[in-house]
Amino acid sequence: MPVFKLCLKIFLHNWISVSIYIVIFLAISIALATNGTSELSNGYSQKKAKVAFISKEKTPLTEAFRHELSRSAQFVNLPDRTEELQDALFFRQVTYILRIPKGFTDSVLNGGSAQMKKTVVPGSIQNAYVDINVDQYWNLARLYAKHEPDISQEELAERLQENLSGETPVQIKAHQSAKTSGSFSLYYFNYFAYALSAVLIMGISTIMIVFNKQDLSRRHRCSPLSAGSVNAQLIMANLLFAAIAWVILIAFDFLLDTGSYSTQNIIYFLINSLVFTGCMTSMSYLIGTLMKNLEAMSAVCNVITLGPCFISGVFVPQEFLNDTVLKLASFTPTYWYVQANAHIAKLTQFGWSDLSSIIYSMTVVIAFAVAFAALSLVIGKRKRLMD
Amino acid sequence: MFAHVFRYRFKCLIRDKQLVFWTLLFPILLATFFYLAFMNLNDDEAFHPIDAAVVVSGHNQYDAPFKSALNSVSKGKNRLFNMKAASNQEEAAEWLKQGKIDGYYTSGKTIKLTVKESGFNQSIMTTFADQYRSSNSAVMQIASDHPEALQNGLLNDVGNRQNYVKEISGGSAEPNNILNYFYSLIAMACLYGSFWGMKEVSDIQANITDRAARVNMAPVHKLKAFIAGSSAALVILYTEILILLTYLRLGLNISFGPRTGYVLLTALVGSVLGLSFGAFISALIKKGGGLKVAILMVVTMVGSFLSGMMFLDMKYIIAEYLPPLVWLNPVNLLTDAFYALYYYDSLNRYALNVGAMLLFIVLFSAATYLIVRRRKYASL
Repeated sequence: MPVFKLCLKIFLHNWISVSIYIVIFLAISIALATNGTSELSNGYSQKKAKVAFISKEKTPLTEAFRHELSRSAQFVNLPDRTEELQDALFFRQVTYILRIPKGFTDSVLNGGSAQMKKTVVPGSIQNAYVDINVDQYWNLARLYAKHEPDISQEELAERLQENLSGETPVQIKAHQSAKTSGSFSLYYFNYFAYALSAVLIMGISTIMIVFNKQDLSRRHRCSPLSAGSVNAQLIMANLLFAAIAWVILIAFDFLLDTGSYSTQNIIYFLINSLVFTGCMTSMSYLIGTLMKNLEAMSAVCNVITLGPCFISGVFVPQEFLNDTVLKLASFTPTYWYVQANAHIAKLTQFGWSDLSSIIYSMTVVIAFAVAFAALSLVIGKRKRLMD
Repeated sequence: MFAHVFRYRFKCLIRDKQLVFWTLLFPILLATFFYLAFMNLNDDEAFHPIDAAVVVSGHNQYDAPFKSALNSVSKGKNRLFNMKAASNQEEAAEWLKQGKIDGYYTSGKTIKLTVKESGFNQSIMTTFADQYRSSNSAVMQIASDHPEALQNGLLNDVGNRQNYVKEISGGSAEPNNILNYFYSLIAMACLYGSFWGMKEVSDIQANITDRAARVNMAPVHKLKAFIAGSSAALVILYTEILILLTYLRLGLNISFGPRTGYVLLTALVGSVLGLSFGAFISALIKKGGGLKVAILMVVTMVGSFLSGMMFLDMKYIIAEYLPPLVWLNPVNLLTDAFYALYYYDSLNRYALNVGAMLLFIVLFSAATYLIVRRRKYASL
């Protein structure tokens, strides 16, 4: 099998550059997947908003208020300098900057109209949340001050603490949630789409471009090998390369997410990624057939891998994407791959009806693969005839 | 002679389709992808009235006050809830399951809440119930201490809530963090301009390219030829950056703040920075076109990563934990200049950024000049 052997030689020759790609993509995927992983908790827990608390006065009441607010806020210590506060707000290190002016407590207790100042991300949900808590505290304080005018600040703080203590009973009616939902594996398998398509397009197109060089392909044609055999060997070599890339990338998921691999979901993740690998292999084959030089290929490779990943929900989850964008994305196999992943992550039962949407998505990906393969064979044939 | 060299260098450069792709089309494509992927992201943190329901207990002394409290916050533009009344537990549970509501209250002696997950919407619902309960307990407390308070309008005062916080904006611009992605993208495009600078330097060193050998034969002062060529490259790069800025501003509606003149100046400084950086690396590294390209790519991509192009928080993390890197990363200087122009009212930080960039430009240019000058070739 001379063609197959040649392919392996080319791969071995380029192994450094391909492995650099793999290392970079792994680093990015792992960093981002770790960052995205959300903790699964069974019980209900109150959310905390990030608040910068700057007080120009220290009274028993403001101290008690700060303590009370800590139930719904996570305090972030920041120096009181405009630009640093602005920076923190821009990068969402805080979402609510609260400033208590001097004399505020006295004003509230005497029925005055002094106000605290807040700087927030306008219209944000955390802003609404903190507002309720802040207003409730001082409204109650005002109520006491008005109707029990002789109460001291310490007593008042104690009363308020008593009134505000206790919790509303919350029942969480979750349907049994899968171990893999929001897990590292889900994110990793999504980023896998990016890493794998980049590596495959780079690797496979490199080979194809070598074989498509005019002199080389003419030399091939006058050899005693049939075109079918040459193609079969090429395809075999490419599939081998794809399989190796798949195994390496998958191996890291098993190393990094030990929690998921005892689940049944992981099997479907694997099948799905395998289907996608097949599709990307045939797409790379098509690109390789179409492209003529390596320089142009790196441009095409970047656009073709980055584009679908952005609009299909690899980098930004699908639920944050606009409907029109998603419609557009549904014309790429990546969209269906990500969609299947999202379904798989949530699977708790593995009946036919639970799996049907996943199978549908995978079928679409396979259809893409067949279309790419057919197209590249047709184009390859035409090229040979025109040569 | 200057005009002649300029014209031919211009023609020569603009025909490099690959460079035009990387410095113009690629940033535009990437900006489009960013836009498509990120345009809804800010909506996620925005507050929308929460879809909620209430199931009554059938005891009017508990239901009526709670329902009226709910109604008071379910009206108007600044309402907290979109309230629905469920006829029974089953109906509310079904709504919850279908995702029509985020949670439902069950009124009674103690108000209960049923939700599907823990999120900010659910926390707001809990807080509202807490507020209702604590107000009640405060009223009971006051009424038992001072029964006359009831005559003095205690119940009225509970309902009559005051606002104790006033919103003041931190600056003139909104903290729209999506913008940083686009600012670092422009910075990346400017730094990609280093490829033009690299080409310029390669084309005057006779031992590197054939074209340079030909140019060295001509009776033109080398510095003059170099400056003419670099001006051509600068014109091309600056035009590309302007096209990108126009596309971002008009096509994608990305805000740059009100100071347009400064934005254009920043783009110019950024272009010169990119060119001089490319020239410097090209002059410094004698051999291997591949190595030069690799260095330029790595510096640009790592720089972009550190200024938040792939992961927004990175820029803040670096500023917090590795402050010197902020000033050593040219991509960050440029990103930060755009950020400061958009976000701050004062120009201090902007001036610092531009100053640091100018320093880099002087450094790169001087080094390039010292390396390339007076090089003679006995034979080629």
